[in-house]
Order: sequence, then structure tokens, then C-alpha cells
Amino acid sequence: MLVEFELIRRAQQGDSAAFNGIVLAYRKRIMGTINRLIARTEDVEDVAQEVFLRLYFSLDQLRAAEVFEPWLHRLTVNAAYDYLRKQRRRPEFRMSDLSEQQVMMADAVAGGKVEHDEQQQKKVRETVDSLLGAVSEADRVLLLMKEVEGLSLRELEKIYRVKENALKVRLFRARQRVLKAFETEEQQNQNG
Amino acid sequence: MYPTRGGDDKLDSLLRAYRAACPDREPSANFMPGLWRRIEARQSNIFSFERMVRGFVTAAAAVTIAIGVYVSLPRATPATGVSYLEALADANTLDTPEIVGPVRLDWNEPGR
Repeated sequence: MLVEFELIRRAQQGDSAAFNGIVLAYRKRIMGTINRLIARTEDVEDVAQEVFLRLYFSLDQLRAAEVFEPWLHRLTVNAAYDYLRKQRRRPEFRMSDLSEQQVMMADAVAGGKVEHDEQQQKKVRETVDSLLGAVSEADRVLLLMKEVEGLSLRELEKIYRVKENALKVRLFRARQRVLKAFETEEQQNQNG
Repeated sequence: MYPTRGGDDKLDSLLRAYRAACPDREPSANFMPGLWRRIEARQSNIFSFERMVRGFVTAAAAVTIAIGVYVSLPRATPATGVSYLEALADANTLDTPEIVGPVRLDWNEPGR
């Protein structure tokens, strides 16, 4: 826990300073999680604000301060999922949709040469983003929470309010689909 | 084609690389003011909605009371408290000849 239970109790009673304290303690972590879940740097702050907005208006429903973190994770997952669903209805160009030449041109227009490390990181982000396209938004979020955020099945059980076995099955299927896409892409890279 | 164990390991390392490529981010200076603006905007929406609902409830209660009072008021209509037969008798008094007059039989009527 990044904050004391007392701070959460005070925020539940409407103490704005206590709520500010919670936001300040968790915002960086939440923004990191959202960044990895939605893969759109420009919208991360907006979605993070939505998470804390939902937290503010639902804090009185939290029965015990001890379950605060799973509760916050749940709000984060829901906000990211809502964002991804909205984005699906709004088609847009992504770097992974462009040819290599177009990417180079876009980079040149964007301000010249990018550092090698940054380019590598960008490539990793785009590859994972494209691989996760093989599963639904809900499975994408679940898989990232488990594999990238490192949450345990017990934590996920609390967040999703679903039995551990059901989660295991869902995670296994999602992972198999991503793995298949990964191997197909690797094979294409080797052939091409 | 089934995924292989080697592919599993490679995917794990790719996801680890993804974690490293997307580190936790520092929020901008506008984060907290922006958040409070959104909270206040939502609060004022909730407040206006509550006020509207309260207005509707009050109006509905006033209309219900008004209808109740109207229905329960005694009416000054002539038929009130009078039975059907009494009303009929009032409308056709005993001196009405065509009802109370003696029946006259005409024995010279053709066909008798």
C-alpha cells in the first residue's frame, strides 16, 4: 500500500486534502499501467484522470480500506477497457500500419533522427501492440495485467470478481492466440 | 500449427521488454488542476440533475394533493345524494296526465 488506511478513511469522509494525497501517491503508477494497457501516450493522462474521477465518486462504496488497491486496479482496468472500446469505433492510422519507408519519412518529419534505444523501444511497443490485436480488448487488458503488470491470479480474482480457474482458462486461451500470432510473424520475418 | 515452448520463452522476453519500453510516467503539471476541474464539472452536473429531480417530485406531489382535494370536495349538483327513482319521480310529478291519467278504452275501435 502506498498510503495509510487512515488517509483513505478520511478521503471517504469527503476530506479533499486526503483525496489529493491518494492521487499524488498513485498517479505515477496508474499512468504507467494505463500507458502499457492502451499504448497511446497522448491519451494516458486523460484516462488516468478518468480513473481518479471515478475513484472520487465511488470512494464511499468502498467497504474496507484494505481492499483499496484492487479497487483502484479495477477502476483502472475498466477505464482502459472503455477507452479501447471507444478507440475501436474510431479508426486511425498507426505506425504499425505504415510501410518501412513511410515510417522513416514520418520520423524525418517528426524531427529528424531518433536515438537507437528509443527506436528499439518503439519497435517493441508496436510489435506487442500489434500482437495483442489477435485478442479482444478485454483479453488484452487481462493479459497485460498478468504478464506485464505482474499481478497474481489472486489479485486478478479480486479485481475481476471471477473465479481463479475461469481466469486461468481465459488467460491461457488469450496467451495461445498471441503466441500463435507471434510465431506467424516470426515466420514471415524469416521468410521475408 | 501449435505454439512451441521456444515461442513461449520469446514471448515472455518480449513482454518483459515491453514493460521496460513503457516505464511509469510522470504526470504533467496540469494533472491535478485538470482532475479537480473534471470533478467540479461532474459535481455541478449531479447537483443540477438532483435539483431537477427534486423539482419534478415537488410538482408531482403538489398535483397529487390538488387532485385529492378536488375529488374529495362535496359537489353542489342536484342529483347528489338522491337515488335514481327519486330523481325520476321528481322529473315526472304525479300531475303529469299522460302517466297518471286513467286508461281509456275505445270499444268501437275497428278490429275489436
